[in-house]
Amino acid sequence: MFKSYGSALPQSLSRGLVGATKQTPTPFIQFVRGKRTKKYDLSPAAQKLITQLSVLSASRKQPKMLKLCPEDIVKHNTVQEAYKLITRKRKKAENEKLKQQYESMKLACEDLAKVSPELFEAANKREISKRFSLELRVPTNYPPNVPWYYDYTPESPEDKK
Amino acid sequence: MFYTFDNCCLIMIVPHLSARHMSSGLIKSSLMLSRIPIVTRALNSFEKEYFNYQAELEKRLMRTFPQYYYFKKGTLAERKFLDIQNGVTSKQPNVWYPKGIPDVKHGRDRRFRQDIVIPREEANENDEKNLSRPIKVNERITEADKTNNMSSLNRKLSHTLYLIVKEKDQWKFPSFDLESQPLHTAAEKGLVDLGGNKIRVWTVSNTPAAVIKYCRGELVTPTYESTDELIERHYIIKSHIVAGSFQPMNTEYKWVTNDEAASFFDVSYFQQVRHLLANY
Repeated sequence: MFKSYGSALPQSLSRGLVGATKQTPTPFIQFVRGKRTKKYDLSPAAQKLITQLSVLSASRKQPKMLKLCPEDIVKHNTVQEAYKLITRKRKKAENEKLKQQYESMKLACEDLAKVSPELFEAANKREISKRFSLELRVPTNYPPNVPWYYDYTPESPEDKK
Repeated sequence: MFYTFDNCCLIMIVPHLSARHMSSGLIKSSLMLSRIPIVTRALNSFEKEYFNYQAELEKRLMRTFPQYYYFKKGTLAERKFLDIQNGVTSKQPNVWYPKGIPDVKHGRDRRFRQDIVIPREEANENDEKNLSRPIKVNERITEADKTNNMSSLNRKLSHTLYLIVKEKDQWKFPSFDLESQPLHTAAEKGLVDLGGNKIRVWTVSNTPAAVIKYCRGELVTPTYESTDELIERHYIIKSHIVAGSFQPMNTEYKWVTNDEAASFFDVSYFQQVRHLLANY
């Protein structure tokens, strides 16, 4: 709103070269209605830095704290506990299943060892650099346009030549 | 010679016994072929509501959008942005606010969730060249779901599907003879022999996941031991179908989820394999 007379002086021409220093406010101020002006101007680099810092900081951007009445607090806590409970149950069941799978694998291997050591050795052979197949897609929220690729044909040895 | 392996006991080779087993067909490789889910797990009603509640809480407690950084003062973009936003009632002196005195900072009433209207180009969702077109999502329930086509791999996208075949009027995982090959190779080869080569499979491991024992045709527990050699052992190898399809000549087959498998398998067989099946 207040335009400084000082900016009309030749000092303003060297503003960019001066660097990130604040100009001192001048004693003569011209009132201009409705125009947004600052009392001082910063170099674009300094202004950019200040804007970036302002974006990163939470000052003036934090909303009001949520005030919950006692009933609301009880409701919120109940909901949170319920979710924790079902998650805990699900994880426990999954863990239990993994244990059962391990035990079953162990039993099968012990049995195989007794029955056929060659097969056992082949079954326990370390598969070097075995990785998940790249074609195994990660599940998404919605299916792709072609959910399943049926048109697979294996490449023949002649093609490889 | 002795072998050792993780957490298991030392054992000794008995060569003559193994050779007899290999040739008399008392060991078979069983294949648990699964199609992993294509789509995320369906949420139950509580989970949906809970996630919605958490999302709303997050929006209410989210920091104000720094509009001055993304839309610079005085630009046309800023003007267009501000034009489409819903205005915020500002605090004026000597005004009665029935809904409470507003607390506005950076163009946002701090008491409420901030609703920003994102400037979007007008675009037809069918225009494939326009990247700004609105996203049209595909349905999670496919044609195969509606017709309940159990031989289709497009069915039950959020579940894991397992291949089951009918052997001697019993539904089970397909099993194959070892032709002097390791278990996992025999399983892969057997699958191709049974269902054609237009199938791409990734084997999880060469180690068997479980053993199913039959004594004189009857299913017995995995820990069953007997001195006579009439125990038929099926070692289950897990693998995933990655592309293609299973196309057998004469065998009846189905792709089923874990719950459906319970209805097809014999009770005793299902009890022995249920821990190997996925949770959903």
